Amino acid sequence: MSASPSATAAPAASEAGAPTASRKRGAAKRRTPPSRRGERLVGYTFMTPWIIGSLVFTVGPMLWSLYLSFTDYHLVLGGDFIGLENYTAMFADPMFARAVKVTLLYVLLAVPLKLVASLAVAMLLTQSRRGIGFYRAAFYMPSLIAMSVGIAIVWKALFAAGGPQDQFMSWFGWDGGGFIGNPDVSILMLVLLSVWTFGAPMVIFMAGLLQVPGELHEAAEMDGAGKWHRFVHITIPMLSPVIFFNVLMETVHAFQLFGPAFIIGGTAGGPAWSTLFYTVRIYALAFVDLRMGYASAWAWMLVLAVGVVTLIMFRAAKNLVYYAGEDNK
Amino acid sequence: MIRDPYRLRRRSLLTGAAAAATLAAAAACGDDDGPAGTADDPIEISFEWWGDDVRAEITKEAIALFESKNEGITVQTNFADFPTYWEGLAGRMASRDLPDVFQMDYSRLRQFGSSGMLLPLEGVVKTDDFREGFLDTAKLDGQLLAVPIAGNTLGLIYRADWFEAHGVATPAPGYSWDQYGTDIATVTAGLGDGKWGGGDWAGQYHFMELWLRQQGGSFYTEDGKALNFETAKLVEWWATSAALYAAGDVPPVETTIEWVEGGLVQDLLASEIGWDNFMPAYTPTVEANGGTLALAAPPSLDPANLGLYLKPSMQLVISGTSEAAEASAKLVDFLLGDPEAIAILGTNRGIPATNTGLENVEIDPATQGVLDYEASVAQYLTTPPPAPPSATGAIEVKFAEIYQQVQYGEMTGQEAADLFFTEAETLLAAEQ
Repeated sequence: MSASPSATAAPAASEAGAPTASRKRGAAKRRTPPSRRGERLVGYTFMTPWIIGSLVFTVGPMLWSLYLSFTDYHLVLGGDFIGLENYTAMFADPMFARAVKVTLLYVLLAVPLKLVASLAVAMLLTQSRRGIGFYRAAFYMPSLIAMSVGIAIVWKALFAAGGPQDQFMSWFGWDGGGFIGNPDVSILMLVLLSVWTFGAPMVIFMAGLLQVPGELHEAAEMDGAGKWHRFVHITIPMLSPVIFFNVLMETVHAFQLFGPAFIIGGTAGGPAWSTLFYTVRIYALAFVDLRMGYASAWAWMLVLAVGVVTLIMFRAAKNLVYYAGEDNK
Repeated sequence: MIRDPYRLRRRSLLTGAAAAATLAAAAACGDDDGPAGTADDPIEISFEWWGDDVRAEITKEAIALFESKNEGITVQTNFADFPTYWEGLAGRMASRDLPDVFQMDYSRLRQFGSSGMLLPLEGVVKTDDFREGFLDTAKLDGQLLAVPIAGNTLGLIYRADWFEAHGVATPAPGYSWDQYGTDIATVTAGLGDGKWGGGDWAGQYHFMELWLRQQGGSFYTEDGKALNFETAKLVEWWATSAALYAAGDVPPVETTIEWVEGGLVQDLLASEIGWDNFMPAYTPTVEANGGTLALAAPPSLDPANLGLYLKPSMQLVISGTSEAAEASAKLVDFLLGDPEAIAILGTNRGIPATNTGLENVEIDPATQGVLDYEASVAQYLTTPPPAPPSATGAIEVKFAEIYQQVQYGEMTGQEAADLFFTEAETLLAAEQ
C-alpha cells in the first residue's frame, strides 16, 4: 500500500538514517523527545530489509505480471503487446467458465461450513473447564499443518477407493466408492480439509466471544430468554464485527486455494475437471501450456474478482454489522 | 544446478541459501574462462533426469564411477517423475537455468531446441558408434541437438499366461483393432471381477498417432504447425474403445485414476499397448505375481502397415548456456559409451542406442524379448515423423484430460473433440 513513500525513504534511510538517528538520540538524551522525523527514519531503517524484500519479491513481480497480462508472452519464446486481447479471450475460453464454477462452488461450500464449525467450537472452548488450554491447542493444531504437502497426500489416501471414508460410508449404504475417482463429490475432499483447519477463525471467534458483556446475558436471562434466544439476539449481534472479519478473510483465502487442490487433483483438476480450481488452471496455463501472458491475465482477473467481492461485502456489512458503542440510528 | 564456476569457492565464505542464490546470480555476470575440470581446477556440473527410485539408484552409481574416473568433475544430480520434471524445466528454461546435462524426450526436443536452449552436439560428443537410424530423430531441422540413450517402438505388452489360459491366440503382426477388442472381452470375462483383458487405449495421443499412421496419415502436418486430421477422425478414434468401455471390459476411469502404477504390474491388466522397453521393467514384478509377459505388434487397421517407427525412448542433451560444455560432453560420452557404466545402467532406459552399449549390456530374457520383437517388426518400421511441434507436451496432456471427460460421460465424443481442437489450436498458435 505504502510502496511509493517507503521506496523513496528507504535508500535515504539506509545511508544516512541510522547514524543521524543515533546522534540525535544521544543529543536529545533526557531533554527533548526525538523528533517525529528522526523516529520515522529509524523506523524505515529497521524496515529496509522487508521493504526491499517486498519490492523485489512481491511488488516487482506483480507489476511485471500486470504488464505480461497485456502481452501474448510465452514462457520460452517471449511475446508482444496485444492490449486487452487476453482479457477478452478469457470469456470465450470454455475452461474459464469451468474454473470459475468450481472455485465459486468451493467458496460457497467451504466458507460457511468452516465458519459455523469454528464458531461452534469457539463457543465450546470459551467455557471454563478443566484442561481447556489443552483442548484449545488441540483444536488449533490442524490449521498449523493442514496446508502442507504431507497432509494433502494423507488426505488423498483417506478418500481413496477402499480407504477409510469409503469403508465408513459403506456402512451407511454408500456405494459411490472413494471421493478421488468420483467427480460428483471430489470437491468435498477439499471442503472438508478446509473445515478441518478452522483454527484461525476459531481463535478470533473466541476473542470475540469473551468480549460479549456478561451483563447482557444476565439481563436477558432474567427476562426469561432461553439459550437460543440469547445466542440469536445477543451473541450474534455483538459478534457481528468479528463474524464479518472472518467471512471476509476466509472468502479471500478460499478464492486462492491452490496447494491441496493441486496435489489432490493435479494440473488437470481431476477427476473430470471437478477440482479444476481457478488457481490450478493458472498454474497449468503458465507451466504446462507456457502461456505466461494469458495466465497473468487470469491472475489479474482473480485479483479484480476478489476485490469486487470484498467491496460488495463491505457494502453489505453496513447494514448487517453492529458496532457496539457506535450510534446505530 | 548452479554452474557458476566460482560458486564453490565463494560459498565457503558465506552460509545460507539466500546468500548463495544472490551470489550465483551476481557472479553469473562474470565471463572468465571456466575451470578446466581437472584435479587442480575442479568443476561442478549438473545432470537431471525423469524416472523412479530404481533408475535414480543405478544412475547415481554410474555417476559415482564417472566422478572417480574424472577427478575434478563433480556431478550434482536430481530427478523427478515425468510431468513434474517438465513443469520444473519449463520454468527454468525461461530463466535460462537449465541443468548442464539432462534427459530429453523426443516430443519436447523442438520446444527446447528451437529456442536455442540446447548446445549443437556435432563434434562435441562422440557420434560414430550409434546404431543405424538412431541419430535421425536426434536432429532438429538438420542440426544434431541430442543423442539417443536408447530406442523404442510401440508394441502390445501382454500376459501370455492369461491369454493362453482363456484361449486367446498369440497376436500376430497385422492383428486388427477389432480382434484385439474381442480378445480383451474374452480375457476380461475369463478373469472375473476386478481384472481386465486390457486397458482403454483411446486417451493416449501416441496411440492415435499410430492409428493415423496406419491410415497413411499423421498427427501433425509436416511443418508441425497444425493438426493433420479433422474432428470427425478424433470422434472416430475415441469411439474405438467405447463399446469395450461401456461393457466394462476395460477398467473404468474411476478405478484407473487412482492407479499410481500400471495395471500390468498390479496384476490387474492382461494387456496394454505401450513402449516396448517397458516390458523388461515390468517383467520382474509380473513374474513375482506368477505371470509371464510377452510382446506382440500393436493392433493395426492395415496388415501391411503397422504405423510403427523406431524412436529414441529418451535422449541426452547439453544446455546451450552451460559453462562446462567439455565436462558435460565427457559425461554424455561416458553414460553412452563406457562399458562399465553401461553394465551398471543396464536396460533401465531401454536397449542402448550405441553398439558398445549393446555389446556390454547384460541381455536378460525379457530384454532379449524386446530385441526379438524389434527384429520381428523391422520390416514394418517406417520413417519417423519430424520432431513434433513445441506445444506437443501440452497437447498430450490436454488430449488425456479431455478424453477423461468422455470416460466420465461429462461430454460426448463430439463435444470433447471440438474442445480438444480449440485447445490444441490455441496452443499451436501460441508457439508461433
